[in-house]
Amino acid sequence: MGSEAHAPPARPRLGVFKLASCDGCQLTLIGCEDELLALSEKVDIAHFPEASSRTDVHGRFDVALVEGSVSAEWQREELLSIRERSKLLVTIGACATSGGVQALRNGKDVSEFVRAVYASPAYISTLDRSTPVSAHVSVDYELRGCPIDKHQLLEVLTALLVGRRPAIRDESVCMECKRRGNVCVLVAHGEPCLGPVVHAGCGALCPRFARGCYGCFGPKESPATAALAARLKELGVPAADLARRFRSISGGAPAFADEAAKQELEHD
Amino acid sequence: MTHPTKRIARAELDRLFALLSEDARVVHGPTVRDGAIVDAPLASVSELPIGWTDQQAPGRYRLTRRDDAAVFGFVVGPSSPKPLFFPPEETLYRAERRADGKVGFVPVVPSPAPKALLGVRACDVAAMRIQDRVFRDREHREPRYAARRDDTIVVGVHCLAPGPLCFCASMGAGPRVGEGADLALAERLDAGGHIFLVEALTARGQALLSRLEGSEASDEELRWRDEALASAERSMGRTLDTAELPGRLYAALDHPRWEEIASRCLACGSCTSVCPSCFCSGSDDPSDLEGAHTSHTRHWESCFTSAHGELHGHTTRPRTSERYRQWATHKFGAWVSQMGQSGCVGCGRCIAWCPSGIDLVAEVRAIADGVSPVTMPVAREVTAPREESLVPRAATVLARTVESSDVVTLSLRMEPDGRRDFAPGQFHQLSLPGVGEAPISISGDDGAGVEHTIRAVGKLTEALCALRVGAQLGVRGPYGRGWPMDELAGGPVVVVAGGIGLAPLREALRRMLADPERYPDVRLFYGARTPEDLLYGRELLGWIDRPGFDLHVTVDRAGPTWRGHVGVVTRLLRPATVPASARAILCGPEVMMRFTVDALAKLGLPHTRQWVTMERHMKCATGTCGRCQYGPHFVCKDGPVFRFDEVSMLFGRHGL
Ligand code: SF4
Ligand code: SF4
Ligand code: FES
Repeated sequence: MGSEAHAPPARPRLGVFKLASCDGCQLTLIGCEDELLALSEKVDIAHFPEASSRTDVHGRFDVALVEGSVSAEWQREELLSIRERSKLLVTIGACATSGGVQALRNGKDVSEFVRAVYASPAYISTLDRSTPVSAHVSVDYELRGCPIDKHQLLEVLTALLVGRRPAIRDESVCMECKRRGNVCVLVAHGEPCLGPVVHAGCGALCPRFARGCYGCFGPKESPATAALAARLKELGVPAADLARRFRSISGGAPAFADEAAKQELEHD
Repeated sequence: MTHPTKRIARAELDRLFALLSEDARVVHGPTVRDGAIVDAPLASVSELPIGWTDQQAPGRYRLTRRDDAAVFGFVVGPSSPKPLFFPPEETLYRAERRADGKVGFVPVVPSPAPKALLGVRACDVAAMRIQDRVFRDREHREPRYAARRDDTIVVGVHCLAPGPLCFCASMGAGPRVGEGADLALAERLDAGGHIFLVEALTARGQALLSRLEGSEASDEELRWRDEALASAERSMGRTLDTAELPGRLYAALDHPRWEEIASRCLACGSCTSVCPSCFCSGSDDPSDLEGAHTSHTRHWESCFTSAHGELHGHTTRPRTSERYRQWATHKFGAWVSQMGQSGCVGCGRCIAWCPSGIDLVAEVRAIADGVSPVTMPVAREVTAPREESLVPRAATVLARTVESSDVVTLSLRMEPDGRRDFAPGQFHQLSLPGVGEAPISISGDDGAGVEHTIRAVGKLTEALCALRVGAQLGVRGPYGRGWPMDELAGGPVVVVAGGIGLAPLREALRRMLADPERYPDVRLFYGARTPEDLLYGRELLGWIDRPGFDLHVTVDRAGPTWRGHVGVVTRLLRPATVPASARAILCGPEVMMRFTVDALAKLGLPHTRQWVTMERHMKCATGTCGRCQYGPHFVCKDGPVFRFDEVSMLFGRHGL
């Protein structure tokens, strides 16, 4: 400790990278305005194409923030290169962490989607599955959310800089919902809510506005998806609807993908 | 006992409200919001849920209209008084770590406006008493809780129409409002009109009552109230037989039902969050980007989270069945040993607000009915509470000794007075602002400072081990129950240590060797992984010539230069080395202690003559966060040293 005071260490180099994604998570970083200034004093934001013209495509990084899933071959190659050049790799958001909305196509015929969506399908080159970063390289920390939460992002960066474990809880959305004093929408209104199996971090945003959680932070630690599915059925939610709910934002996460598949089977 | 009771007109509630609001007091009470009756600060009587009621079933709550204008014509909603005194999230202190390595800690204690609680049900009044006991009226007084709780006026409401999920009568908590309230209301709405009987339970209540306009309650009215309460008691939606329930639950730890519940339980933590008495918490140390300024925060946690069972990066309760078992056995079982009363007041909230609709009462009955109980430890006597700030003080590193490749001993001077009071076997909470806090056992007193032997296993312990002489850190404590030094005197003492487990034993050894008259025969059996992992080598060598001291050392693996024993420590325990009359103190990995206890028992040492140390990740160290629970014990204050028979029914079991 004492010695650190005398020779300030070189500022750690941070890179922000994007694969298949909508940029929403990077926007969260830009949205940190005040904190971003303080952050840029502490770290050298060496590559952040979204926010500045300064880029360093081939440099080495202490921390790489990776947004987006792997949806095309060039993304896979870039990811391998980022990993090689970075000490710590943090995925930001549902796409990078579990495949994102793009993972809806997994298990389906992609060429059909391409034909349906794009005017000139010939220009489109895509893999038939959208996969999370962790399917290709080792990940040091996963930040959930669609988009990520600003406080969690700052917490992870701070913890990495200070050298402690990020204070990010792997508990359910219900815990946050209750701490905020919300009235449970599932119990009081019979509203289908995924909160009990979803990773905390959003501050129970949807239940705060009287809506059920739709799971953008992905599964929590030990998610009881089968038990929740059974309960929601008792409340009258049909299997097909349940499958859709588990598929939506974090459908690529194994726990949700499995439950969705089970419900689809039942529906067929 | 009959309390002074007045009959007041419904309109007189306005005056009561005005009296409660005097001196800038904030009046909290039930009100309708978001389709439920919740607690909130109120501006007037009109905000009470007049003419509303609730319909409740497991996992279901609906707000509906009554066909009258009853003011308190419902039971309990999702909120309880708990968050007013024990907020879901709060800062305990701020810490600073300066560039010169010095640290500072500033407690954060609120000074809130005084409160009055209007319309508190009997169960919630009872739950407030439980929380008072956890945070204010036991060994430690939590000043933040006390600041919010002291000087609160409580106006209770007798429950005359309990709901289908209510079982306060079984828990001895209702329906009659008991100790803890200043006034208790009984609402009467019939052909005779709409009136309240207001009963003064305290002097403060009496002072309020005397300022209300009304007449003394008549005998008929008092009879009506008592009969209504008696009939309420008979019409509870649920009942639970609590006789010997703790022992029956602990006898049923292996019941298959726990696993069956896990197929329905979401482990979401809704139950513990709505419970008016649950007190478990976790803490974090968010900091600025330099880690120079930190807030130490505390938040509601739940036994259903993995964090709650965390120990060295794992969780002691990975399975949902184990978490549910922890919840139910704590609530109805361990709580009694810990606090002298059950942790449940029978409000039924956890049943209504369980998103999965699990019925705690039905589950507990299915598990514990007809089971013959085991004997539970009796609650420990409560001494006068002392102020516990939970805030560290600074300490300075006086000396740093490298013991092995990943173990360092720091000798610390406690600022400002250099005190060195502790009992062998106790621990300190050591902290680094911005990094965190962890329990570290005290490994000795070197005459200048208090020694701590630390193994670098995580970020915090790595940072602690890296501290240089002159640097500062935070210290709280000493905490816990140490080795039974008095009971060890007189006869032979067998000390068995595994690896870093020698650290908490070292000061006990030093004190025994320094006093051969009281401790004439001390035998140390010490096992480590390799010769390089043996701690305190030089000091041990210095002891071997002492009369009345025997040293036996073994390692798991060794190179060709090692001349000593190779193998597990239990191999050294033989009739020739362990007198049957000995007392034994043990510290090491749990498996090692388990085998050692058995080996010593075979050599004639009953469980009542063996003491072990338990390990849990202590957060508060004062019996208020629930993190360190081990069955009916708090490891932080009832341990870490236990006589083996106190923990034998739990020892070696998974998922506790
Ligand atoms: S609204 Fe959803 S997240 Fe909130 S407590 Fe209910 S089930 Fe949990
Ligand atoms: S355990 Fe359930 S019924 Fe008992 S006090 Fe807590 S919430 Fe109420
Ligand atoms: S109760 Fe908090 S550490 Fe023991």
